Amino acid sequence: MARVYQVPRHAFPWLLAGALLASLPHLWRGPLWLAVVVPVLLGWRTLIQRGVLAMPGKLIRFPLLLAVIGATLYSHGTVLGPEAGVTLLVAAFALKMLEMFRLRDAYVAIILASFVLATTFLFSRDPLTTLYIGVALVVVMAALVGINDPESGVSPWRHLRQSGLMILQALPLMLVFFVLVPRMPPLWNLQVNQQQAKTGMSDSMSPGEISRLSRQSGIAFRVEFDGEVPPPAQRYWRGLTYGWFDGRRWSQALPPEVRQQEYLRFPNGPSPEWYERLLAERGEPDWRYRVVMERTGQQWLYALSVPFSNRQEVGLARDLRLVRRTDIESTFDYQVDSYQMPVAHQGLPEWERRFYTSLPQEGGNPRATQMAKDWRASATGDGAYITRLLLWFNQEEFYYTLEPPLLGENTVDEFLFRTRRGFCEHYASSFAFMLRAAGIPARIVAGYQGGELNPLGNHLLVRQYDAHVWVEAWLPGQGWVEFDPTGAVAPTRIEQGLDAALAEYGESALTGLAGALRGVPLFARLSLLADYIEFGWAKWVLGYSQQNQLEFLSRWLGKVTPQRMVMALAAVGGVIMLAMLLWMLWRVRRPRLVWWQREHRRMTQMLSRRGVPLAPHLTSAQIVQIASEYFPAAGQPLQDWQRCYDTIAYRKEITEPMVLRRQLRRLRRLVGRRLIRPIRLNPKTDLQREA
Amino acid sequence: MSTTIGRAISAVSSVVLGKDEQIRLAVACMLARGHLLIEDLPGMGKTTLAHALARVFSLDYRRVQFTSDMLPADILGVSIYDPDTRQFQLRQGPVFAQLLLADEVNRATPKTQGALLEAMEERQVTLDGVSRPLPEPFFVIATQNPVTQAGTFPLPESQLDRFLMRISLGYPSAETELALLSGSDRRDHASTMKPEISSAELMQQMELVGKVHASADLIDYVQRLLAHSRDSGLFVVGLSPRAGLGLLRAARAWAFVAGRDYVTPEDVQVVLGPVTAHRIQASTGGASATSTQQLLEAVPVVRRS
Repeated sequence: MARVYQVPRHAFPWLLAGALLASLPHLWRGPLWLAVVVPVLLGWRTLIQRGVLAMPGKLIRFPLLLAVIGATLYSHGTVLGPEAGVTLLVAAFALKMLEMFRLRDAYVAIILASFVLATTFLFSRDPLTTLYIGVALVVVMAALVGINDPESGVSPWRHLRQSGLMILQALPLMLVFFVLVPRMPPLWNLQVNQQQAKTGMSDSMSPGEISRLSRQSGIAFRVEFDGEVPPPAQRYWRGLTYGWFDGRRWSQALPPEVRQQEYLRFPNGPSPEWYERLLAERGEPDWRYRVVMERTGQQWLYALSVPFSNRQEVGLARDLRLVRRTDIESTFDYQVDSYQMPVAHQGLPEWERRFYTSLPQEGGNPRATQMAKDWRASATGDGAYITRLLLWFNQEEFYYTLEPPLLGENTVDEFLFRTRRGFCEHYASSFAFMLRAAGIPARIVAGYQGGELNPLGNHLLVRQYDAHVWVEAWLPGQGWVEFDPTGAVAPTRIEQGLDAALAEYGESALTGLAGALRGVPLFARLSLLADYIEFGWAKWVLGYSQQNQLEFLSRWLGKVTPQRMVMALAAVGGVIMLAMLLWMLWRVRRPRLVWWQREHRRMTQMLSRRGVPLAPHLTSAQIVQIASEYFPAAGQPLQDWQRCYDTIAYRKEITEPMVLRRQLRRLRRLVGRRLIRPIRLNPKTDLQREA
Repeated sequence: MSTTIGRAISAVSSVVLGKDEQIRLAVACMLARGHLLIEDLPGMGKTTLAHALARVFSLDYRRVQFTSDMLPADILGVSIYDPDTRQFQLRQGPVFAQLLLADEVNRATPKTQGALLEAMEERQVTLDGVSRPLPEPFFVIATQNPVTQAGTFPLPESQLDRFLMRISLGYPSAETELALLSGSDRRDHASTMKPEISSAELMQQMELVGKVHASADLIDYVQRLLAHSRDSGLFVVGLSPRAGLGLLRAARAWAFVAGRDYVTPEDVQVVLGPVTAHRIQASTGGASATSTQQLLEAVPVVRRS
């Protein structure tokens, strides 16, 4: 009969713990049945290990596998793709544990556990997740140490220690690889977050959408300024523009006359005329900054006007906003130079004028239209008309609120003359309508306004509730000019942010716990610290892309060539290996203590701490004798300890070293508990007193 | 404890009063196949101890009083021409005994002392170019007066190294002395003692001593003692490997006498003084007993790092 290499018993605690830790993040995230099935299967395996149940046969395992595949199909509609795939993987991994019996099954289980752990990164990459994966990896590796430990009856904690040491030793090497190994763009694009909703702004806006966003405290992006930070009133982060109004919804659209390549300019692409003019007229940049964006699932990038970025995949659109070639599926960072400049030189061709003044054909909102026409007719120019309109917003009874009443057919009429309660989208939307109705080209700009300055990193933190929309109008001679009707109604929103503005009207954007906690100073400080750590992580780890790597390396290597990179890798690797070699030599030179010697040291240290005068040349019997004089209550356990120690250290036949080891430790602890001083302080002073 | 050894020890104790420790050491020394040097002033019972040991272990015993005019032949023996057989006949000297008591060995000249050298180390004697083995077992118990006394030749270091142990008896305590004075002459006691162990049995016991277990920790301790004697600068010359082997052998024998089949650091510490005191010399010139104590206190029993 062929020999069967079984999994050593002492490896099981870490094998099972590793499996559980590796699956746990997915249980949290995945379908409900997974969170039930995996713990049950692992518990089952534990019972098998305990000898309560027998290993299930093929007749049980095969239907289980089919059931798992069926459940995955039911939950995800497929077994392919990252999410369904991971669900199936985690469930199958738990099933694999059920048939883990031979050593090679354990190897497979450990590799699977590592893989399942790695898939966690598909869904989350924040510092906490990374820390968790590190810890879980130590446990999985402890299982690997365990199945390779020929000694039986060893304490599992030793394996954990060994594994932790190995991971620690691997850390420097990991850093070197992280920094130096050439980064390649992914060979295929894994659409992980298909089902995850796109966050932030969308490419259209209907009433109520922005106010919904304003209730989220999630992070949109962070900005790190090179130099001074603009004041709050100038922090208008332009994301996208809406040029098309259908009576209710504003959306991003291009008139059919325009070709994409004339509208969008990417580095290395054709350069349209308007871009050349912009380039020619820009002076020194007013703001230089780096934006680190969270995943949005969309292409829009946010920047102050007029933005230029040198990143390859970032393009500039004719309406002066940055766009990425592909959707932002993971943390993305880009460097921007912003120039405050008039943008009249682009000119306003006839097609553009027609597009930006267009309104729905059938005469909706008649009252607003009429008022716009009357006011424009009586005004001296576009500028005067706009000023009057803004003044009107400011002086009439308009309310800034997150909970506006619902609007019916003629949204603008109803809002302007009846409800008069609205959020920025209502003001921007009606304002833009009024401009267009008066024949002034206008568009809505969507983005974020403001941001919180984190003093720790001196960076700006822009959250979803900073979402904002405002209006740009074309004025002859001045070009596109920004107008913010919300600022006319609630100036506090622009100067101090949403919270302060809403407070004036007795409202709060964040309700519940998050809202309550925001008022607590300690929590505010902690969240700033957390933000600082997360920003550092996003900047240095997640944002360390191919381009950043090249920039970083060229600072050290000059020109980055493959030869130089290989040399740098070899040099740094060599230094690390040399350091490890020296360390190992040092360790070999000094023989390590064996466990009973360590135990002996613990005992003598404990006694010394309690005031027993011990010299190193004392034998165990002498130590015990002296200690017993000081602590008579510990006499018996001390003697037992000494007998046990001498047996281990000096006798010929030690059977069951593990038993003795446990016994020795137990006796030492027993002694420790008995180290109670008798009433008399110590024999010496006692003698003195007698004398 | 081996009961026969225990009986032997108590028998000797009844003759040499109040010197249990020294008796045990002497017995251990014999069990370790070592030669013993007893250093003390005259009249402290050195000879009585040697005599008693010889009786108890039923050994063939000779005693030689060393004097300054002694020649090697007086110890080894001499060939005499026998006119009847017309041949030289060997008259064996006192060395052809199982236990040789060399009394006041430092009164003899170095030349005579040297004659003992081959006998002690090789356990054989070369006379007229013929090597003659000495009987088994073979022990030398030498006594010597403190070197400071008049009319003594200090033993050469090479010879000192051949003694496994050096002990001294010292004055008896008051009680012991009272018992001593009120009793009859101790030497008579010794000559009337009956043997407790046959020499064959003694050989067997010596075999067993070699099997006493010395663990790795213990050997490590012994090695650290030796290394420290060489490296610390406490001593003019460090302990030799022979001294190290002797120390371990003596510790084994001590453990055996104590009835254990394994050696503990206590055993080493007990025999450390007797085994090493006569081999090393403190660099400060102080008493060698103090320096062995220093050595003992400088070396931790259990490795600390």
